Amino acid sequence: MPERTHGFKIDEEICDGRLACMRACPTHAIRVKDGKAKLLPELCIDCGLCLSVCPSSAIKATTQSFAEIDKFKYKVAVPCPTLLGQFPPEISPAHIAVGLRSLGFDAVWDFAVELALVERAIADYIEKWQGPFPLISVYCPVIVRLVQVLYPSMVDQLIHIQTPRELAGRELKQRYSQELGIEQGDIAAIYITPCQAKTISILEPAEGARSNLDGALGISDVYNEILAVTSTLGEEELQAGLMGLFYSTDVARWSASRAERRDRRQHRCMSVTGLPNVIQVFDDIEKGKLRNIEYLDCYGCWGGCIGGNLAVDNLYVTLSKLHRLLSGLPQSNPQLEAEVERRYATEDFSLKGRVRPRTTANYIGDLKERVKRVKTEEAVMKTLPGLNCGLCGTPDCKTFAKDVARGAARQEECVLLSDERMRQLREIYFRHMHASREEES
Amino acid sequence: MAEELLRKTFEIRGRDFDKAGETAGGIKEILTEIGVGSSLIHRAVVIAFEAEMNVVMYAAEGTFTFVFTDEEIKLEIADKGPGIEDLDLALTEGFTTATDKMREMGFGFGMGLPNIKKNADVFNIESEVGAGTTVSATVRLDSSA
Repeated sequence: MPERTHGFKIDEEICDGRLACMRACPTHAIRVKDGKAKLLPELCIDCGLCLSVCPSSAIKATTQSFAEIDKFKYKVAVPCPTLLGQFPPEISPAHIAVGLRSLGFDAVWDFAVELALVERAIADYIEKWQGPFPLISVYCPVIVRLVQVLYPSMVDQLIHIQTPRELAGRELKQRYSQELGIEQGDIAAIYITPCQAKTISILEPAEGARSNLDGALGISDVYNEILAVTSTLGEEELQAGLMGLFYSTDVARWSASRAERRDRRQHRCMSVTGLPNVIQVFDDIEKGKLRNIEYLDCYGCWGGCIGGNLAVDNLYVTLSKLHRLLSGLPQSNPQLEAEVERRYATEDFSLKGRVRPRTTANYIGDLKERVKRVKTEEAVMKTLPGLNCGLCGTPDCKTFAKDVARGAARQEECVLLSDERMRQLREIYFRHMHASREEES
Repeated sequence: MAEELLRKTFEIRGRDFDKAGETAGGIKEILTEIGVGSSLIHRAVVIAFEAEMNVVMYAAEGTFTFVFTDEEIKLEIADKGPGIEDLDLALTEGFTTATDKMREMGFGFGMGLPNIKKNADVFNIESEVGAGTTVSATVRLDSSA
């Protein structure tokens, strides 16, 4: 199986093997062997739940640094609208734009136009779609990967339309290249991201094509700097900061209220946030339910992108700030509308490549071997206690049976089936305990 | 001659709308684990779900048999239900005998049997009024979407 870039690294030195990540992982991508957590990369969907529950802080997110971006001649920040909701009320979008420039960016691109374009493209796509409903949004990379790994029969239902951030990357490179007379390759489009999953989607897009963006910085990486710079700004600098930005209500509304997208009211849409909820809904779809829904807007994080793990404020505070921001912005912007009209007629919005199911262990071996594995799994399952205690180092008995069937685990690793296993675990975990006590004293 | 690799039966209870879809879900799980191509899974699951819903909506009980061979996925659904009077009519898209209540729940739009037929490579239906209906559908492993 090909090697993948993932959002996370488990530091084996620090890992105490306390099973929290293994139990939290929605795709059962973590095993704990010899007291250390191990990732099964082909099952990881970059959701970040493992990182947030690790009691030893042994899991680190893959992020990029300013240094990696510095090699480009012209750097453009493409902030996720979530960024707007992170600051105290006196800090306006203009402040944020100036703050980003002082961080070393040459320009800031708000994707109000791209958002409107994508909304329109989605509405048209739904209209023309002949295949099974519901179609599923691809804004959230975790959702795309979830479908690839756990719901392979639904990959064609992922809507074949690019995300606003990717469109922004394409457009800004063309624009600045023309305006400034520099090569597109010298321009970097850097996403200011609320989660590491989008970083991964830029480094390794699920559709296999190359991203139009060149990297990403976490909101938490730029927050302090913006806050520090913006407290000293005068009116003139602020006006200059807003140059070329739309920052209409669309951008803030996109973050604050996903159900109220303007172009979508004519379609039967449903918005689902939080991985456990999304999984529940996807299970229903696979069983054949929910066929009356035309479009599902799904996000791995609770509350959508504003709940991302690289956001600074909690999602409810962010939401309240965004609503306040909304009330102060103009309702519509004729300039923006004109720009949307102009670009919609000429641009292609389709994803650059097809999203395919990911190759997992289920596909190894010929048909007979695979069926035999399923039968073995059932036989093993009958010998297990069904407690889902996780002490075998597998999240639950069913997954353990599956691992045994494909030779990745031994039946004797179940503590109820083997005293030896219990003895081994005592040794490993008491050793961990002693080590951590010595550190404390 | 095709070699049978796996066989499973599921019992379906009529009127149990809460549990409806569980058999289809179980079949999806097995096929996903076997690693059958995604479009085949999709077709088999659509067939399973529609057939299961027909039992849930109209019959007292039914038996769902899933047979996996090295050549095909065979699904057979036999119910003890009212039977179908006019099979040609029942196979017409949009024809339905569903009650308003069933439609409110999002079922019974007259697409069930036509949908099964459309997704199957081989389709057969036998029905006796007052006794029950047996639907069999086959999805060939070498067939494309």
